[in-house]
Amino acid sequence: MSDRSEPITSLYVHVPFCAHKCEYCAFYSEASNGEMINRYVHALIREMELVAHDLKPRTVFFGGGTPSILTLRQWEEILKTMERLNLLGAEEWTVECNPATVSADKARLLRSFGVNRISMGVQSLDENLLDRLGRIHSREMVFKSFDILRAAGFDNINLDFMFAIPGQTMDIWRNTLREAMAFGSEHLSCYEVIYEDDTPLYAQLKAGKFSVDEELACAMYDELLTTVEQGGYHQYEIANFAKNASAAINDFPDRACKHNVNYWRGGSFYALGPSAAGYVRGVRTKNWSNTQMYCEQLERGLRAIESKEELAPLARAGEIAAFGLRMNSGWPLAEFKHRTGFDLQDHWQPEIRQMLNLGYAQLSQENFHLTRQGLRYADWAAELFLKI
Amino acid sequence: MQASHIRNFSIIAHIDHGKTTLSDRLLHSTGTIATRDMEEQLLDSMDLERERGITIKAHPVTMLYKAKNGETYELNLIDTPGHVDFSYEVSRSLSACEGALLIIDAAQGVEAQTVANVHLAMKQNLLVIPVINKIDLPHADIAQAKMQLEDILAIPADLAILASAKQGIGIEDILEAIVERIPAPKPTGQPSLQALGFDSYFDTYKGVVTHVRVFNGELKAGMTVKLLHSGKSVEVKEVGSFNPKPYVRDKLEVGETGYMTANIKSPKDVKMGDTITDSRNPSAVLPGFKEIHPMVFSGIYPINTSDYEHLKANLGKLQLNDSAFVFQSESSVALGFGFRCGFLGLLHLEIVQERLRREYNMDIIATYPSVVYKIFMTDGTEKEVDNPAFMPEANYIERIEEPMVKAFVICPNEYIGDMMALISEKRGNVDHTETLDTRRVMLTSLIPLNEILIDFHDRIKSITRGFGSMDYEHADYREAQMVKLDMLVNGESVDAFSCIVHRDKAESRGRALAAKLKEVIPPQQYQVAIQGAIGGKFIARETVSALRKDVTAKCYGGDISRKRKLLEKQKEGKKRMKSFGSVNIPQEAFIEVLKTS
Ligand SMILES: Nc1nc2c(ncn2[C@@H]2O[C@H](COP(=O)(O)OP(=O)(O)O)[C@@H](O)[C@H]2O)c(=O)[nH]1
Ligand code: SF4
Ligand SMILES: [Mg+2]
Repeated sequence: MSDRSEPITSLYVHVPFCAHKCEYCAFYSEASNGEMINRYVHALIREMELVAHDLKPRTVFFGGGTPSILTLRQWEEILKTMERLNLLGAEEWTVECNPATVSADKARLLRSFGVNRISMGVQSLDENLLDRLGRIHSREMVFKSFDILRAAGFDNINLDFMFAIPGQTMDIWRNTLREAMAFGSEHLSCYEVIYEDDTPLYAQLKAGKFSVDEELACAMYDELLTTVEQGGYHQYEIANFAKNASAAINDFPDRACKHNVNYWRGGSFYALGPSAAGYVRGVRTKNWSNTQMYCEQLERGLRAIESKEELAPLARAGEIAAFGLRMNSGWPLAEFKHRTGFDLQDHWQPEIRQMLNLGYAQLSQENFHLTRQGLRYADWAAELFLKI
Repeated sequence: MQASHIRNFSIIAHIDHGKTTLSDRLLHSTGTIATRDMEEQLLDSMDLERERGITIKAHPVTMLYKAKNGETYELNLIDTPGHVDFSYEVSRSLSACEGALLIIDAAQGVEAQTVANVHLAMKQNLLVIPVINKIDLPHADIAQAKMQLEDILAIPADLAILASAKQGIGIEDILEAIVERIPAPKPTGQPSLQALGFDSYFDTYKGVVTHVRVFNGELKAGMTVKLLHSGKSVEVKEVGSFNPKPYVRDKLEVGETGYMTANIKSPKDVKMGDTITDSRNPSAVLPGFKEIHPMVFSGIYPINTSDYEHLKANLGKLQLNDSAFVFQSESSVALGFGFRCGFLGLLHLEIVQERLRREYNMDIIATYPSVVYKIFMTDGTEKEVDNPAFMPEANYIERIEEPMVKAFVICPNEYIGDMMALISEKRGNVDHTETLDTRRVMLTSLIPLNEILIDFHDRIKSITRGFGSMDYEHADYREAQMVKLDMLVNGESVDAFSCIVHRDKAESRGRALAAKLKEVIPPQQYQVAIQGAIGGKFIARETVSALRKDVTAKCYGGDISRKRKLLEKQKEGKKRMKSFGSVNIPQEAFIEVLKTS
């Protein structure tokens, strides 16, 4: 269990603005409005001030929304605040970018304050599908932005792709994958389209505008796994792939996203910004999903927390076990015990046996993890390991 | 009334030949009931009876009729249940009579139920008055009906009365024939009261009301009577008759029909066909009594497990008016707690289930019906088994016998071939065929009861495009190669689907069940094997292939809480499902399979 006195080493910041809302997106974000963004930046600075005393970030992640939509000036304000509050110097610091909003001077600014990783939401390299998804950028912008980022000195870049998009054929997916390999990014994040309530895409599905082809989605996933492997990436989580300096991997590939690994391993993190969900010493919190309310709270000097939740120790351990199994390396038994206080083999014996019997998991002296086949059923594994 | 002026009779007929219409006519003609009080089909008081056109209870009605000879007679019409399931009740009601009106629809001629009913009446030595009804119909064929009377039923055709119950033709003749032809009741020469209890119903105020026919002596309020078969002595509270509403009388004398009430709380205390006599000076028992035994069993389970107590209470209420219906609690791994219920036959089973659903608003599921098998064990003992769960291991069984029925099937000539094929598919043997007329034949055959339980009647109707009819009477037990078929999901037996079947049919039934299960079991994260097995031998197999994946979506820090809640909800849902071989099967799946089997 993390020590009460040690500061929290992970920070997430949510930037709730986008130039335009994508068809599939259920994240909290709104179309940008200059005045509101300024107000948000000041509230965020206020929020940083409130938690800085308990933070010594090893990983930082600016997600959204579209963090790259903030202007140079706004970024400067945030970064200087972080400097003042002693929040710089993270080992891994990621900022999410939309290919349409990357500029050379923004990239240089970020780099100069210590941002060392960029995650770019590409989603597809097919113009029609980009349209279909409501993305605001073109193929060309992706190539251009990637070059800008490299030129600014970013040597750790992630690209996001989606498959099983309505209208996406296997051929289109293969082409996209082939082109994705050609970028030579250090990290890939590839996942199946999810239909979330309250998104236009979901409404279209419900209205019968298209149907889900489960077989094709499976085939695309298989295609993904083989292609990225050939391209020199190592899967370390269901939807995440990264490069490694050598062929041998110890726990994770070198370029795995440390910030995200901390989530899956049940580590603490502060989360700032509207709708952001944090997890600090066993307590999950969620900020208001309304930028106006978020700002009002902070302008009064208060945290903008909408809800808090603290699970009983065994339930919390169950949750940690469940989400850790999404990673190829699963759970080092000692680490699990150290983090939760519970012994995985004692408290989840029937579940472990069931997964082993089906050939969906492997157990060694030190480690329990899902097999390649088992990873396909990680949701079911998670369900089994949750304690209710 | 003096015995010489009393006539007791029933009406027997194939369904829809006009029994109810004629009964109503008789009630009007005798002034028992005024036309304006008339409700369609007076005697069938349950909704279900009216809807299905079948009489379930035996209703006695007393009419006064002034005959042409100037004398007034007391005519007691005992309406008998119109279905073979209730053949014992029919035989008890018939034994309360000296005669019967046999109705034949002039346009249809003799049908299967006509034959079965006439057999029953003959066994009771009743005087049968043939009535050819519906002569008003344009395609009425009176000559044909007369020929069939003689050829098939051996009843002289010149005795037939031509009638139209609907138009009131021949009613007078029928009433006169009842007076003239049916013998008056005669005392039996016993020392005291001797009466037959032939049905009962439950009245909230009066308790059990028993329908009685007095054969000897008299029945009066205040007497202490003994029920010889149930061994109980009770004090009579009230006696009376029906017109058709109950009315109190001073006493019931030799030959009279009516009811009695006493301090009887449960209908189970009055046995159908019991002999009622003076407790201080008892007479002999009346002939023909049988303990009634259910012929068909099925498990009835509440769909919501929390409805168990409610279901139990409602089964109890139903039993108050249906002493032939029995139930006791049982439990199933798949279906939870429920009741093993015994019925006289398939119609009886359907009626009870339908009343539970409609009158009592119960959501229920019933297991595959089973007959009662006699199991002769290698150690010389004998067992009766109606539930596959209690079937002994095959190596302890020397032989098994199953109940048979003698079935009468009447069908148009052109369908004989298909009908023979159906009977042999149902493991029956045709004993003989008789030509009824130029168009139709009657096939008399011996068929296992278990084979006619499910779809025999429907199949006949569909083969003959509705022109065939079927009735049966119970016959003896016969040895049969019965086996227990188990259905297994990932190696674990699912009790709700086990059944006792003939060896030759086990395979096809196993395959059909496996295929159905495959349809309703949702794909899991691993392959699911569905097997049918007899003893240790597998005879059917289906596989539900595994889902190829259940997740390829991303999940980061902000998604964890929501995702956990979603998974918790799923897990909660599975907890409520039944698990076999670690496969979670939703209850709807069991219901789906039971519905279609
Ligand atoms: N045309 C005609 N129809 C009749 C006659 N008697 C009964 N029916 C009709 O035949 C049908 C069945 O009669 P019902 O009395 O219910 O038959 P049950 O099933 O024997 O009781 C009803 O539609 C009656 O109206 C009759 O004499 N002539
Ligand atoms: S850019 Fe990202 S956060 Fe914004 S709407 Fe599109 S998917 Fe959602
Ligand atoms: Mg009727």
